Amino acid sequence: MLQLEKIKEENKDILRLIGEVDASNSVLLDQSMQEILEQGTTFLLIDGSQLSYISSAGLGVFMSYLDDFSERGIRFAIFGLNEQVSEVFKILGLDRLIQIAPDKSTAIKLAHES
Amino acid sequence: MIKTSTLPLGRISLLLAIIVWLALVLVDLVRIFGMINNLDSGISEEVTWILEILFFIFVYLVYRRIFWKTRQSDFLTLIWRGVSNGLFAAAAGLLTELIYLAFGESKIGTDPFLKNVFYHINFAWTSAFLISTALLWKHLILYQKNKQVVNQWQVFELSMLGALFFVFFNNNNFDYSFLFGLVILLIISILLAGNLKWIPYLNFKEKWKLLLFLFLILLCAGFLFYRVLNFGNEERIQINLTDNLFLMALFGFVFAYGLFSFLVTLFNLPTSSVFEQKLTEAINFQKLSQSIQPEESEEQVLDILLDSCISASFSDGAWIELNPKEQFIVKNPLRFLEESTRAELNSLIPQVHQTWVHGSTAELPHPQTIRLNHPNYKSALLLPLVVNKSILARIVLIKEVKEGFNKEMMSIIGTFARQACISVENHRLLNQAIENERYQEELKIAQRVQKALLPLHLDHPDSFDICAYSNTADEVGGDYYDTYQVDENHFVLIMGDVSGKGTSAAFHMAQMKGVFQSLIQLGLRPAEFMEKANSALSKCLERNHFITASIFEIDVVHQTFCHARAGHIPTLWYKASERTAEFISMEGLGLGIVRNLTYKNHVHEKTFDYQPGDILVLLTDGILEGRNDTGEQFGYKRIKKIVEEHPQKSPIDLQQVLIDSLHLFVGGDGMIDDDYSLLVVKFK
Repeated sequence: MLQLEKIKEENKDILRLIGEVDASNSVLLDQSMQEILEQGTTFLLIDGSQLSYISSAGLGVFMSYLDDFSERGIRFAIFGLNEQVSEVFKILGLDRLIQIAPDKSTAIKLAHES
Repeated sequence: MIKTSTLPLGRISLLLAIIVWLALVLVDLVRIFGMINNLDSGISEEVTWILEILFFIFVYLVYRRIFWKTRQSDFLTLIWRGVSNGLFAAAAGLLTELIYLAFGESKIGTDPFLKNVFYHINFAWTSAFLISTALLWKHLILYQKNKQVVNQWQVFELSMLGALFFVFFNNNNFDYSFLFGLVILLIISILLAGNLKWIPYLNFKEKWKLLLFLFLILLCAGFLFYRVLNFGNEERIQINLTDNLFLMALFGFVFAYGLFSFLVTLFNLPTSSVFEQKLTEAINFQKLSQSIQPEESEEQVLDILLDSCISASFSDGAWIELNPKEQFIVKNPLRFLEESTRAELNSLIPQVHQTWVHGSTAELPHPQTIRLNHPNYKSALLLPLVVNKSILARIVLIKEVKEGFNKEMMSIIGTFARQACISVENHRLLNQAIENERYQEELKIAQRVQKALLPLHLDHPDSFDICAYSNTADEVGGDYYDTYQVDENHFVLIMGDVSGKGTSAAFHMAQMKGVFQSLIQLGLRPAEFMEKANSALSKCLERNHFITASIFEIDVVHQTFCHARAGHIPTLWYKASERTAEFISMEGLGLGIVRNLTYKNHVHEKTFDYQPGDILVLLTDGILEGRNDTGEQFGYKRIKKIVEEHPQKSPIDLQQVLIDSLHLFVGGDGMIDDDYSLLVVKFK
């Protein structure tokens, strides 16, 4: 089960993931990302504090937007991941490409630096 | 020995009956001659009785045989046979009367011998008619028999058998015992006459025919009875064959059942149309409930349904409208109506009942009757046909009278509609099932092809043992492993995992194999290998797919392995000297994530020395992420612990322990929702 919550905060868009992202619902995540992008966001944060599991299909969604983010100069960061989920990002090597922060304020800071 | 079944029993009986009759005629003539001339003919009257009984028995056998042969004929054919027998006997009687009328009081007209010959002829025809008709009645009485009826009939048959021999008891006198026997037999006959279950099955026309036939039978029986009485009363006939209890009781039985049948048929006439209607409905229902054959169409079912509804409700017109979304058409949607009238009537149906046309399926409509404000047609019944929760079509039945549709009609029509819908639904489900079957077959082929992509044989020298295992979450999956012998001393191990699972992963897995098999020929170093693989796969993979891989190049002479990791799950390395296992921690980005030349900054290689007894366990994330019913993952720690506990085991045994532990952990309620693979190497 995956629940997606979109939150608008000043100039930032926050997408909160609640539950699990797997092969069957990664399409929903992709749709939400697409929508946010189409609205012309400049600063996107993923709140993963309530994300309990992410499969390789879910990682594939984030990965597929990396080029778009750098092309359009969109600041992007993920925060609040639990140990297990953060390990998954690390093993794949995505932690070198995506700003992954323990909390929201660090995430904003990191996103500004990048 | 002669088999009884091959004997022409019917003909033998017929022959015997004729012989017995001739003997009877002869004996009686001799007796009359004796009586007239006051001579003792030496033949007692018992001889006549015995011959008479024998005659009855043989005639019975003849007709029983005939009935046995024709028992499958319909009622009217059988009854017609009875009628023809009766007409024959009556005609014979009439002819005799006419002859005597012509002769008048002449010598021939009063000749007792001639008169007796005629009497015997009439007696024979009358007996034949009565016995055949009684057998016919038996057939009708025992239609849809139950035990009680069978018992009644047996009692009657036994009584009749008794009556046959009654003549020896009362010496052919018309006395009280005779009357008593007759009354008892008549009572039984009347009781039996209540069994008329066959009559309702005849249709209106057949009933009229039946009335005629029964009337003729009654007429013949009456006429013959009258003649028998007349003969019996004539003084000159000393030999009386017809004042016989058996014959009289037969008259009674034939007459009673014939009369009852006649009356019941007569009173059944007005209601027979209702019975026929019910029968038609049952047949229609049966037609509708037959599932549609593959070569038949849904249109045919709707056609039958429309006709069935019209006949069940006596509608004056009807039409069927298909939901515009349906793929097929009904060629004759109108019944007894012109298209212009239909359009006129359709415009009179209130908008509320047109909901289905707008495609609103939130609330499925029920059959409804409505009033029509039309000069010719006053009421309508709207019958929606619902298949699989959406409306397939609507039937509109129209009547000229107000409130023309009663509850019973609605209920039977509703049943028809449901049955037709079930037929259509079954037809569709069947088609779907066939389609699904085909897909399943295709998937099986895909599965077979994909299995063949994984190596059957793993290249390895004597200096290490190796085994591998792979399982997919769906029919096909995205895990891959392979081995390659570079030269005598160098061996390469590869494991790869495509993101996602199922068919898309399987296609990418095939591409991965192609890329890996090509690159491995080039003798690249592990990091270089990953670089090239990334660049090749970046051009093949969909944007949101990536591949993780691990590569090991083993040098068995120097006992080293060079390793590079591209985002893949770290490999577990059991060191025999330290008796502990560790996951080899190396930086490395998955393939297809960064699709440009900067990838080389993200991958590294490192060479390690190994010792004999060391074990390498390569795995994919499906094993780590196997979850039990509380959602806990199998994880790194468990794998490490298991390997540390079983370092002595051969690769194949260790692999089995790992798989068994995983399944035990996951249990019945947990799940492994991903492909998972293992490759175990043990150095010697």
